[in-house]
Amino acid sequence: MSLFLQSLLSGVLMGAVYALIGIGLTIIFGVMRIINFAHGELVMLGMYLAYFLFTLAGVDPFLSVLVVYPAVWCFGALLQKTVINRVLNALPQNQILLTIGIGLILSNTAMLLFTSDYRILTTSYSSSSFHLGGVSVSVPLLGSFLVTAAVTAILYWFLIKTDMGQAIRATAQDRDAAQLMGINVRWMSVVATGIGAGLAAVAGALLAPTYYIFPQVGQPFTLKAFVVVVLGGMGSVMGATVGGIVIGATESLAAVYVSSGLKDMVVYVLFLLILLFKPAGLFGKSRV
Amino acid sequence: MTTPPPSSSRRRSPLAPVAAVLAAGAALGLVPAFVSSPYALHLMVLFFLSVIMGSAWNLIGGYGGQYSVGHAAYFGVGAYTVVVLLQFRQVAPWWGLVPALALAMALALVIGSITFRLRGPYFVLASIAVAEIVRLAALNWKDLTNGAEGILVSDIPPLVVGGKVITNFVSKVPFYYSGLALALAVVLVTVWVERSKLGYYLQAIREDQDAANSLGIPLTRYKNVALVLSASFTAWAGALYALYVGFIDPATGIGLDISVQIVLTAIIGGIGTVGGPVVGAAVLVALSEALRANLVTDLLVKGGLVRETSKVGLFLRENLAHAHMLIYGLLVALVILFMPEGVVGALGAFARRRRQRLAREAP
Repeated sequence: MSLFLQSLLSGVLMGAVYALIGIGLTIIFGVMRIINFAHGELVMLGMYLAYFLFTLAGVDPFLSVLVVYPAVWCFGALLQKTVINRVLNALPQNQILLTIGIGLILSNTAMLLFTSDYRILTTSYSSSSFHLGGVSVSVPLLGSFLVTAAVTAILYWFLIKTDMGQAIRATAQDRDAAQLMGINVRWMSVVATGIGAGLAAVAGALLAPTYYIFPQVGQPFTLKAFVVVVLGGMGSVMGATVGGIVIGATESLAAVYVSSGLKDMVVYVLFLLILLFKPAGLFGKSRV
Repeated sequence: MTTPPPSSSRRRSPLAPVAAVLAAGAALGLVPAFVSSPYALHLMVLFFLSVIMGSAWNLIGGYGGQYSVGHAAYFGVGAYTVVVLLQFRQVAPWWGLVPALALAMALALVIGSITFRLRGPYFVLASIAVAEIVRLAALNWKDLTNGAEGILVSDIPPLVVGGKVITNFVSKVPFYYSGLALALAVVLVTVWVERSKLGYYLQAIREDQDAANSLGIPLTRYKNVALVLSASFTAWAGALYALYVGFIDPATGIGLDISVQIVLTAIIGGIGTVGGPVVGAAVLVALSEALRANLVTDLLVKGGLVRETSKVGLFLRENLAHAHMLIYGLLVALVILFMPEGVVGALGAFARRRRQRLAREAP
């Protein structure tokens, strides 16, 4: 039983970070109907930023999100304005290929600049943990969970309470109607891409203390973010939040009860099953 | 797709393209008699493999509009089946091909039946997930595949062709001819598909699935036929590749990079055309070799753009050789942004405009 609780807990802590990555993907999808295949590479970008902020300036990775988020927000917004905006009305396949291309450019540029060496960000608390009712809790994972929870709470507040948040949600619901209501949908697309990219990078920064950092680290996150988003329902922020936790827990339990090598396989099989039997996801209304 | 491919606007006799393909094949068949440079032959083998994979993908992706980004699954199944049978069961590769193709076709049918119910981005995602499942299976089924270590091909038994015994598989010539034959076969199949009922149905499905369905085209059946055809050629290419390189592991054999490269070959040349994947293969192979051999850096240095000994020059010389995936990324982004019809499509549009202008100017 304690094994079950242990793996469930670490799965949920990890799942919160997946949720953050997934929320970023789902916001971009919601506003522009574009699936960002370079999403994992933005996570990678966040990891490297956190790494260099830590090694060069001694900034704690959990504090570095204050720098990482605005920096990658600008990067994402720039990417939207210069490149992605041009394919808003193109075939979905071409949009996907374009973002795959962007991902290749990002990961291979990182390889040119930083080499493909594995880097490790070691903080004083990287391997520390404490016990809570027979279950051990990893400090860096708990830290990332808490920051994730805070970021998610701020995001919900922003989307629900502020004018701009409501404008973004309106654009996601119906782009044309939103435009008729006087919302600057082009600007909303830029803002949404910035937010999505920023959230992915924040997740990367939060993962930096517990993960190997290398240029190709992003790819699995892209796939996992899709699983999270499809599970929750494309375009649903709530869905991505729940989806992330569910996927994190599934993965962690599969690692214990199936095999650690096959945990990703379990997740992908689950993904196919969702696509087939409940393609709208848990909270989505999108049509396949 | 806004502009229809030429084939759908006017029906031509298949004789001319078939004759052209066969003539090109005959000319290429003579090459090893005059060229003995292993490097030149090596490049040609890479080119043929790329043509096979790009054209095979083009059948389902280009004509059918079903953008599979999971073709590495078929490539890997072909490669692994042949290599596992050869290394652990001493089955000669040309016999091993039979179960390899059968497995790839069966896998395609299963995958197709599951994923063809999905559309657009959902189909793309599902195809990636399936390929990842196959890769993880190969990675974890260590008894069969050696896991991440991969399998080294030790030697290939002698092959008898028309009374001639071929034993020298270190030479590139056997691979040159098998690559050439298969590349010709897949291009001819494409010519046939383009003019057959299957091709017209596929193009109808690509343009508008619901309209095609309401006209009585069974969507899943024709998508499956195209996918099975595509998967078998891809598996064949995988088997050829693994034997040629002499090694297979899950990362290089079934990785997402392979799937992406396959799609790029077709996209860069121009999807839904016979010549597109051939042009795309030529562009990609030439480009990645130019990078690997540092030709690009040499050119920049000779052109006086970068000084040889400067920091930039040294950096480029050191790193550009490993940057071919970066260039692929740039290429695909540029093609999608500026010529979504690919090289062949862009040339075709140019030719059309020219003809129209000439026609206007003519009295």
